[in-house]
Amino acid sequence: MIGRTALAVCAMTLLCTGPARAHHSFAAFFDPDRLIRIKGTVTDFHFTNPHGTIGLDVRGSDGKVQKWRAETNAPVVLMRRGWTRTSVKPGDVITIEGWSSRDGKPYLRLKQAFDASGKAIGAQFGQTDS
Amino acid sequence: MRVIRRTILILAMCASPALADPPDLSGFWTLEPGPPKAGDPAMIAKLPPNTVVLADTGITEFPTGEYGGLKPKPEALAKAKQWKPQDEMTLSRVCAAPSLIYAIQGPFPFELYQTKELIVFKYEYFDQVRIVFMDGRKHPPEDAPHSRTGHSIGHWEGDELVIDTTHFEPATITNNGLDHDDKIHMVERYKLTPDGKTLMATQWFEDKDVLDNNGARFIQWKKKPGEYVFPYDCDPSLATQYQETKTLDGK
Repeated sequence: MIGRTALAVCAMTLLCTGPARAHHSFAAFFDPDRLIRIKGTVTDFHFTNPHGTIGLDVRGSDGKVQKWRAETNAPVVLMRRGWTRTSVKPGDVITIEGWSSRDGKPYLRLKQAFDASGKAIGAQFGQTDS
Repeated sequence: MRVIRRTILILAMCASPALADPPDLSGFWTLEPGPPKAGDPAMIAKLPPNTVVLADTGITEFPTGEYGGLKPKPEALAKAKQWKPQDEMTLSRVCAAPSLIYAIQGPFPFELYQTKELIVFKYEYFDQVRIVFMDGRKHPPEDAPHSRTGHSIGHWEGDELVIDTTHFEPATITNNGLDHDDKIHMVERYKLTPDGKTLMATQWFEDKDVLDNNGARFIQWKKKPGEYVFPYDCDPSLATQYQETKTLDGK
């Protein structure tokens, strides 16, 4: 299902602007200094406000599948950045870069997503407001 | 004769600002990208004393425990300290709209419709619609129903639209646990830049039961002709998706 393309999670710190926010506080919920990158297979994509979400099966370094979820900005914002409800589909292999949640869950705020060929999906988050 | 002419001229000069049509603020407005703006000095100068200007407009947000210079009273501060971000990720909370106290400075656009008697804000965020009465009426009695958009009355002061709002339901001020109560009072001043492409505003508020000082924000939006707000239609299943996400050790 996932194949060998799935990667382990890597964390990196960078200086960047925060993402456009929505209903719950980004700064309180996510760590702006912990940007992570995951690659896996999409299990579901919810294109609804206040936040879209992408479920992702990611193979860990131990070979086991980890269930991750990436929260996006509100679809009303996504639509102005080139996203549609079919931008991501179950079965797609994608890479997601985003800010890790503070509560230790495999849950993050999406900054940017790339399809299997490495092409960016929509526009990058955090650089403009909408 | 010359005295009469001069008198008429002076009267005309005095009367012209009041008779002039107010500026047209109508259109689709979206928040300017980037960090919070310093603010138009003339507008900032009109803020009442004992006011702190919050630097949380645009993409900036305060982390837990930071209130941008607001001075919460002990009871409000104690309540704010008990707040956890995860509290918001429940079915009952995740689609609870904030009041305009917090909502108007967010990254979502709005449409503004202007007539002599009414001004209507159609906000994208949570599909909120707000009517500003420009017909000279007063606020309703204190025990009248409260809402997240409150009761707004407005008037023009030269080229500035001044809106006075009361009757808010309690809701967040800074989106991190600090809440206002139903006595909060908000005054906004809106003004166009000379080229008409940017709408500037100060949003000032006082809440004597919650804060020892007053708060304000400076906000700027860009006009985008031809665009319109999208439906928001909040879906609370986000809370379930978050709750069903288990830690990697299965907890």
